[in-house]
Amino acid sequence: MTIPQGQPALPLDFNLESEVSEIEGRDGATYLQFTSHMVTFYRQTYGEHSRFFMALREGRLIGAKCSTCGQVMVPAATWHCPNCDFAEMTEIELPHRGVLAHTAPITIFPSASFLGDAPFARGYVDVALDAPIASFLPSRLRTTTGLERPGIFVKGIELKLVFEDVRQGSIRDIFWVPMAEVAEGLRDKQPLLASELDFTTPQPPTVEKSAAKTASLGEAMAAMSRLADHVAKSRRAQADLAGREHLVGVTTGGGDFSIRVVDSRFSVIAGIPKGAEHTLVADDPGIFTRWVHDGSLTDAAVEGSLWLPHKEAFQLLPILDRLPRSTRRDLGDETS
Amino acid sequence: MRKVGIVGAGITECRSRWVEATYWDLFQQATRRACEDAKVTVDEVDSVVYGIYNDIFEHQAIPESSLTGLIGMANKPGTRVTSGGATGFYAMRTAAMEVASGVSDVVLCVGGEKATDCFDPRSKTATPMVIDTIAKSWDPFYEYPLGATASDSYMQMCMGYDDTYPGDIGDSDVRARIIEILCHSGNRNPYAQRRDESVTAEQVKASRWIIAPFLRLLEACMYTEGAGAIIFASEDKANEIAERTGQPPVWIRGIGAANESYSPGRGGNYKPLSRIASDRIAAERAYAAAGVKPSDIRLIEAHDAFVAQLMITMGELGFVPIGETRRLIDDGIMLDPKDLADDEAPGDGHLLINPSGGLIFGGHFVGGSNMFSTWSCRREMINRQVPLGLVHGTGAINACFGGAMVLELDEGGAR
Repeated sequence: MTIPQGQPALPLDFNLESEVSEIEGRDGATYLQFTSHMVTFYRQTYGEHSRFFMALREGRLIGAKCSTCGQVMVPAATWHCPNCDFAEMTEIELPHRGVLAHTAPITIFPSASFLGDAPFARGYVDVALDAPIASFLPSRLRTTTGLERPGIFVKGIELKLVFEDVRQGSIRDIFWVPMAEVAEGLRDKQPLLASELDFTTPQPPTVEKSAAKTASLGEAMAAMSRLADHVAKSRRAQADLAGREHLVGVTTGGGDFSIRVVDSRFSVIAGIPKGAEHTLVADDPGIFTRWVHDGSLTDAAVEGSLWLPHKEAFQLLPILDRLPRSTRRDLGDETS
Repeated sequence: MRKVGIVGAGITECRSRWVEATYWDLFQQATRRACEDAKVTVDEVDSVVYGIYNDIFEHQAIPESSLTGLIGMANKPGTRVTSGGATGFYAMRTAAMEVASGVSDVVLCVGGEKATDCFDPRSKTATPMVIDTIAKSWDPFYEYPLGATASDSYMQMCMGYDDTYPGDIGDSDVRARIIEILCHSGNRNPYAQRRDESVTAEQVKASRWIIAPFLRLLEACMYTEGAGAIIFASEDKANEIAERTGQPPVWIRGIGAANESYSPGRGGNYKPLSRIASDRIAAERAYAAAGVKPSDIRLIEAHDAFVAQLMITMGELGFVPIGETRRLIDDGIMLDPKDLADDEAPGDGHLLINPSGGLIFGGHFVGGSNMFSTWSCRREMINRQVPLGLVHGTGAINACFGGAMVLELDEGGAR
């Protein structure tokens, strides 16, 4: 939800037509409901926080240090120490490296304002490591290795502070990446800019081939072919796919295949043809068999067993996840 | 401080959405039922405390103002309390204090929420907008712009706990078994939102992830619309009402509350992310005020936003050791209501936890959820003749608000 300068504060499709409509109650009676909104616009002052956000604009990270107890608050939420009878706090410059205080949750189901941004990671970074007492900085966490997923942002990992190239004075002007993903020559650079890191061509993970996985892929291909036949007979499933066109490659430990979505139909083909929009990676092809049997590709991505190069790739998964259920609802026992 | 008793309680049915009623009617339903239960008229009520969490849900900036006349509280003092997920607890604390101080003899405490009238125009569903409305509880400078949600917030606590005490809340079998038990409890609660559901451990483990690895869909509380009311009375008035109703008063023996700092951090007064310190401090205060130990208590209605959080909370409340909360299941401490007759008290070494079905199966109408818990705790204390009960509430970012209340059944028992 980065709102560039000069754009509408609310997306234009973030609106409802005025209407009063009928809705049936559990008692079978008809009730009315009306559309409305409770939107307030703000030109909210950053007030005492302004110094912190001014510093971000300048590519610096600052905190407030208590002249009495030595505690450091980052962000500088106050300039008077609440623990020392509101003693004066002074501005200090903080390093552009920190440690993740605790393993970070990854958001899959965001609020309305962040629809389309998922998955994303946020966590608390311990920046003022030399201070005996310090707050943690609430932070955006990003990786250059594909989608944010479990196993990367774990407690104690060393992080590098990165600044967006264009900054407006927002907590979203900055984010952190694992220090291990930053080239050695850039690790001490302050500020390090987002454009100096490559987020667009993540290195896919390697898969280990085995005969068992080849057999497993065979089962998955057969299961997905049956699903494709069912989709061809299911109105619900076709509605799920309506208006979409995709050719997505998949590399597994049992070999490669591709998923094609076109004309509200779904099909699988062996190998990955030229023109595939991107390639997913799963060491275990069984993920796809389980998906057809009411499992979930989204869950596989959330757990980290299905690798995706970027967020756009993630958006298709909930739609694919609907297909087994939609076909079952339309075709019943025929799908079992 | 005067002795304070609970003399009546009433709740609405918990529903995912009430199209048949607005929050005006829901609050009136709960008030009406509580008055019927206590056999009091609104004229006997001296004042009212409202628990309403979020103005955006009610779509009105002073939602209690439109309720005053409709629930019979015209021309009486009325205080609205709003403290995040712990709104209900803090509203009840305020009502009890009002009686304890001698200012009022009978106080109505009514709370509720109309959560799912919200609608997201892009997904054409309510959920993203409900999440957004709750996310507006975060500050606009640092947390909200990062996309913080209530689930992330509680899961951050769970991840911090798991970093520090591995091998406890991470076992999905243990969490799924707790869900099964809560489901059985919800089946017994005629007002529970999911009273007709039958959820097995296997279904829990097969349900979709909300946040890996501690939160699947079937491990989370729901968005609920409903209201709950509790009537508090002074000792004399409570005894008088008990004669009328034939129901023993349930006395408030001790209340404790604590709110941690908003900012997490290391040392000082910062909030530690590996524990729910607010739960621990609140419970210790409640036990001290009541002169009891956790081992004296066998009936608990705890605020279970998520199962992993419930496990940590049970540790913080002192019923199982921190780091070994899975003993609730491993050692058979948490009772399945199926193994207990409806009038049977939990035995030595056992705990009846959330016999209402909790917030997960019962319902979570935020401003009144803790009243819902209190309604259930009182009901079970009377029906099972359990001398002591504990009601717990938690809320706000990273579970930094906490409250606990020790209840005691009148010595006259069922009368």
